[in-house]
Amino acid sequence: MNDRNPAFGAGRATNYTETAGLSTGPVPMEPYRSPEFYALEQDRIFRRAWLLLAREEEIPTPGDFVRKEIEVCNASVILVRDKEGQVRAFHNVCSHRGNQVVVAESGKARAFTCRYHQWSYATDGRLLGIPDEPSFFNVDKKNCGLSSIACEVWEGWVFINLAKEPEVGLQEYLGPMAEAFSGIHYINTANPMVVQADLDCNWKVVSDAFSEAYHIPAIHPQTIGATFSSGDNPYAHLLDAKIFGPHRFVSMYGNSGYAPGPNSKVEKLAYSMIDAGSVIAAAQGAEVMKYLEHPAVNPTRSKDWAMDVLHVWPNMHIDFGWGGFWTHHFWPLSHNRTRHEIRFYLPKATTMRERFQQEAYVARVSEVLLEDLSNVARTQRGLESGAKDFMQLQDNEVLIRANIDTVQKWVKAPTLKDALAAS
Amino acid sequence: MNVAVNGRGLPAGFEDLEKYVAYWGEKTSQERWQRRSAASMEDIRAFYDDVLGRADDIITYLDPYPLDDLPEEAAQLSCLLFALVNCSMAVELHGEPRAIFSPFPHGVRILKGVSPLG
Repeated sequence: MNDRNPAFGAGRATNYTETAGLSTGPVPMEPYRSPEFYALEQDRIFRRAWLLLAREEEIPTPGDFVRKEIEVCNASVILVRDKEGQVRAFHNVCSHRGNQVVVAESGKARAFTCRYHQWSYATDGRLLGIPDEPSFFNVDKKNCGLSSIACEVWEGWVFINLAKEPEVGLQEYLGPMAEAFSGIHYINTANPMVVQADLDCNWKVVSDAFSEAYHIPAIHPQTIGATFSSGDNPYAHLLDAKIFGPHRFVSMYGNSGYAPGPNSKVEKLAYSMIDAGSVIAAAQGAEVMKYLEHPAVNPTRSKDWAMDVLHVWPNMHIDFGWGGFWTHHFWPLSHNRTRHEIRFYLPKATTMRERFQQEAYVARVSEVLLEDLSNVARTQRGLESGAKDFMQLQDNEVLIRANIDTVQKWVKAPTLKDALAAS
Repeated sequence: MNVAVNGRGLPAGFEDLEKYVAYWGEKTSQERWQRRSAASMEDIRAFYDDVLGRADDIITYLDPYPLDDLPEEAAQLSCLLFALVNCSMAVELHGEPRAIFSPFPHGVRILKGVSPLG
C-alpha cells in the first residue's frame, strides 16, 4: 500500500497537542484524587457551566416531564414541556417546606402536586393552589412558584445552567463548536437503550477512558480490538483532533477490512440478517446517509473511520458512528464516585431479524462497556495510592490533556466569562 | 404492546429446548446477561450448541409474527434466541463466562433495552 497514512505508523507524525496550544509535559494527578479539588469543581465548573441534560424527544408533548438528579450540585431538576410547547426547567423543591415535589422519573402531568401537603404547581412553574390557604399569613403566591432554572435548547439538546443569573447564554457558551456541529441530522432520537453504572472513580477517570482509542487493542482484544486497529494502524492513532475552547473533538480510526472470525457463528448469523430488499431498511438507510453527510461527522471522510467523540464540556460526550449516535454522561457523586449513563439511540426493530441483530449489538456493546468499567476502579486506586504524582500522556491522548487543562483553568477563574476566555 | 412471557411453553416442534426455559428464558437483556454471567462454561456451551443448532428453525418460525404482538410461546422462544446471542459473548469472544478481569457482580446495568423483550 503506497499511500499509507503517516499518522498511523510508528513514530509521532502528528502534533495535536501543540496545535491545541497545550504543553507536552507530564499532567498532575491531584485533580483526580483530591476532595478539596472536587469541592472547587462543584463550585467553579458545575455550578457555572451549561449542563447538557437531555434530548428534547424525552419530553415531546405538553405536560411531558422528566426528573434529573444533579448530585454534584445537590440539585433535583424537573424538565417539562409547558402548554405552549416550550421546554422549561425548575428546581424540584416545594415552596412550602422544601420537599421534593416530583418523585416519578418521568411522566405526563397537567400540574405537579407535592405529596406532602398537596401544594400544586402548573407546568410553567406557577403556584396553583395551597390547601387550607386561609390558615397561612398572606403568602406571596406570585413568588412561590417552582424556582426556575435557566434552560435553553440547541439542536434538540436540552441544557440548563444552575447559576441564578448565568453570565453568558448557551450560544456564547458553546461558541464556535455550535457552528461546526449545527445541522446534524440526528436519527432515532426517541427511546434510547440506557446503561448505567455507579463507578468507584473520579468523573474524569471514566471520561478519560472514553476519550482515547489507545487502550482499545489492549483492553478490548476480542470485542472490538480488531475493528479499531489494524496492521496499518496498530495503536489506533487518531484520524483528527480539534479543540473548540472548553469543548473538543476526536475522530477515531476503524478497520474497514474487519470481518467476523471463523468461530463467530452467532456474529456471522447477525451479519447475515441484513434484509437488503426491505423497504424499511431502505428508509433507515436514507436517514443514515443524510446523517453521515454532515461535514462534522467523520470530518476526514475516511472509509477507515470508526467513530467520533465530541466532548461537550464539562461532562458529556456525543459519539458519532456509522449507524447513528450515542451519548455518555459522567455525573460526579464525590471525588471518587461517578454515575455513568450511556444512551444508545437505535432504530425500532420491525422484524425478528432486525431484533436479533440489535440483541447482538446490545450484547457486544455491554461487554465492551464492562471491559472499560471494570478497569476504572483500579485506575482510581492507583491514583489515590500517592505513589505517583504525574501522568505521562501521548499525542493521541490529547482530549485527556485538554480536559485537565480546562479543569485547572476553570477552578482558578473568578467568573464564567474569565473561564471561557481562558479555555 | 404488552408481550406476556409465561415462563413455560415453547411452540410445538421445540420440545427439545423446553428444559432451558426456566434458566435461560429471561425476558430482558439485563436478566439474560446476569444469567449467562452466573453460569458455568459447560452450561453456557451446552445451551449455545443446542440453540445454535436450531437457530435457523427458530428464526423461520418467528419470522411471520409482528414484533409488537408476539403470542406467548413465540415470545418465550424469542427470549431463548436472545439468550443465545448473549451466550455467544462467552463462547465466541471471551472463552469464559465473563469478560476477563471483570468483577461479578459488577455495577453495570442495562436499565432499558430495545423493544420488545430487551
